[in-house]
Amino acid sequence: MDDAARMDSSIHRLDPRTKIIGTLAFIVTVMSFDRYTVSALTPFVLYPLLLLAISRIPVEPILRKILIAAPFALLVGAFNPFFDRSPMLHIGSFAVSGGWISFTTIALRFFLTVAAALILIATTGMHRLCAGLERLGVPRAFVTQLLFLYRYLFVISGEGSRMVRSVQLRAGPSALPVRTYGTLVGTLLLRSFDRAERVHQAMIARGYDGSMRRLESQRFGWRDGMFVCGWILLFVAARRWNLAELLGNVLGRIAA
Amino acid sequence: MKTSAIDVRELSFAYPDGTQALRGVSFRVEPGESVGLVGANGAGKSTLLLHLNGYLPVQRGSIDVAGIPLTAASAKEIRQRVGLIFQDPDDQLFMPTVEEDAAFGPLQMGLSKEEVERRVADALERVGLSDRRARPPYRLSAGEKRAAAIATVLAMSPEVLVMDEPSTHLDPRSRRRLIELLRALPQTRIIATHDLELVVETCSRVLVLSGGELVADGPTDALLNDEVLMLRHGLERPHILQHRHPHEAE
Amino acid sequence: MHMADALISPAVGGTLWAVSGGLILYCARKVRESAREILVPLMGVMGAFVFAAQMINVAIPGTGSSGHLAGGLMLAILLGPHAAFLVMASILTVQALFFADGGLLALGCNIFNLGFFGAFIAYPLVYRPIAGSSTSGAHTSVAALVAAIVALQLGALGVVVETVASGITDLRFSTFALLMQPIHLAIGVIEGIATAAVVAFVRRARPEIIVEAPVAAPRGSATLLYGGLILATLVVGGVLSWFASSHPDGLEWSIQQLTGQEELAAPEEGIHLRLATIQEKSAFLPDYSFKSAAESEPESETEVWPAVSAGTSVSGVVGGALTMIIAILIGMLFRRRTAGPPVKTG
Repeated sequence: MDDAARMDSSIHRLDPRTKIIGTLAFIVTVMSFDRYTVSALTPFVLYPLLLLAISRIPVEPILRKILIAAPFALLVGAFNPFFDRSPMLHIGSFAVSGGWISFTTIALRFFLTVAAALILIATTGMHRLCAGLERLGVPRAFVTQLLFLYRYLFVISGEGSRMVRSVQLRAGPSALPVRTYGTLVGTLLLRSFDRAERVHQAMIARGYDGSMRRLESQRFGWRDGMFVCGWILLFVAARRWNLAELLGNVLGRIAA
Repeated sequence: MKTSAIDVRELSFAYPDGTQALRGVSFRVEPGESVGLVGANGAGKSTLLLHLNGYLPVQRGSIDVAGIPLTAASAKEIRQRVGLIFQDPDDQLFMPTVEEDAAFGPLQMGLSKEEVERRVADALERVGLSDRRARPPYRLSAGEKRAAAIATVLAMSPEVLVMDEPSTHLDPRSRRRLIELLRALPQTRIIATHDLELVVETCSRVLVLSGGELVADGPTDALLNDEVLMLRHGLERPHILQHRHPHEAE
Repeated sequence: MHMADALISPAVGGTLWAVSGGLILYCARKVRESAREILVPLMGVMGAFVFAAQMINVAIPGTGSSGHLAGGLMLAILLGPHAAFLVMASILTVQALFFADGGLLALGCNIFNLGFFGAFIAYPLVYRPIAGSSTSGAHTSVAALVAAIVALQLGALGVVVETVASGITDLRFSTFALLMQPIHLAIGVIEGIATAAVVAFVRRARPEIIVEAPVAAPRGSATLLYGGLILATLVVGGVLSWFASSHPDGLEWSIQQLTGQEELAAPEEGIHLRLATIQEKSAFLPDYSFKSAAESEPESETEVWPAVSAGTSVSGVVGGALTMIIAILIGMLFRRRTAGPPVKTG
């Protein structure tokens, strides 16, 4: 994800606040549809696809992450076809029940919202995203420790997996017995505590006094304005009118 | 009389658990000097380093940096004059990108945006990382991490650089680059390390700490060639000094 | 137990965003006021630690199964409730952003379910009273176990209530609850055992770390904390009672749970009042169906959606498929247009 975030495109160059607002507007609009609406949702596919296309970030990692996350939402949604059997749509002699339709919207909405969030982070990167959050009024203490969390995620996971490997080399690849687990995770915790202390020393050594100053490099420009306004207009339009159905009607008229 | 860069007098320190880490340590470092600080594990090297920029409070004795006595009140100013480079670059590089990390110190000093950017560019140039400025630290090699850690301190334009084990985890080529960088830096340097070859190549003078006491202070070649002295302190921690000593003596 | 965006409505998601957001503001202020300079880096590193610990599995004695830590209670024990809540919030944020674990709209729910109950209910109201100031290992182990179970049960209940209130899945409250609560009993036991094991180790190795955690919030903030608690209860209770309106047995059940008595006297009025206002409020949400699963009998279904006739449906299907194709084509076109090797700056 960080590699994608370090690429360069007009999407990458947008102010992080722009993308945060755009993404939230998108998710809220998509989720505000009732559960039997399928066709009106389809125009919304444009947002992730267009962003993916313009930013040129690799698609496969994003798809893989969506698929990995899919089971829980789909599992809960999968009950719908069993509980809601009222026929809602007839295609020829084939009746589709409301449950299947609502299941489809759950799947579609899942795909749309998850894709939008992943694209946000992949075109922005954690540190610019955090800077954006801070400018949007999220408390500094929260943002700062969020950055630290992200920074030391890999360091401490690496330490943890080395410790687990060293135990498993001797004890086999099973889960750890409670006592061993307590010792291993406890040791990892103490090491993390010590690391936090050293990080704090390093911060003090460079003038940390409880508040952190950061380079402000964001500007909300006309491109940002256009991005936010354009998409929100489109979302509102697509929410108000079923664009897909309109298209179908127009086509039907032409055919007739 | 010229003011010493660092003037430590009768410095003693005990940790809250009672461990006496330093006992009456006194030495001076003149501006531009490069001094090696050697000693076995637990000799007090790290404790001494943490004193030099005011992280640990002075319990007994005194420390003057460029003529300014180190107190709680002067600690902030001293930290701008004495740059501390930690053993593990992962501890030192706590910001999301190399660039932001190098900017941290100057920003905390309250410098203007232009000045901060100039200093960051200079510091990264100095350590050869200009093309790595947007990288997150975990995407750097061990050598690059070390260089980045040094850059974060150089950006603060300190008069004295204090380093803790700068050559750990470096492959031979990265280590060679580090040695060249250390020799080229104009600042006063204090380098605490077990890497005695590095000391030979970068320091003209050596301080030997043992059990919290300063047991020797003199020219690098003379001290490191003094097998009796080395072995006497090596015997206390033979695994460090004994192995390396024969190479140094050649 | 992360909730996904696809299962919740904007109203539920937004409400819990507001609640969690308010709690974050409050906790961030507490952390700043604590003036423990090391706390901010410590919180970040501890968050990273919990992340790492979540990848390590512990075997459950006598069952042959295994599980891992979620970490909320452990963080509260180590850092105190305010810092712990912020750390849980950031862990969930990173999971939502990078691992698509729960979504952005559901983030407020997830922070509340996994952060609030552990830090502000299980830790101060269950763990501390049981653990007390005793230094005995057995006390803290029991305290960790019970507190973890309480936190996970409340969290699971939160998931159920929020999901059912969103009305996107057809799962009934009782069915979903029967599914979630027992599973989370097991998960809570695992959480308790794992937390107890680690706390026991730290207590032996470096007891000062646990003692260091702030003992109690100062008096002034207690009112705020309880204000927040009451607000949260109102929200949860409101959603719960609203849901229950269509579910008389569920209402009885939930009120029993809430008040611990079967008899309903004056409180009934309060709940119904609250119920009414919430229904009134929800009516302002355009096209938004607050319909609970209980209503979704076939007949009412067609009544609620009379607009769905075969004609419009077919054009919807055709148009939807076309729109998708057009969107994909536009996407491909843009990708061509901006072709050329992706530029990396690193």
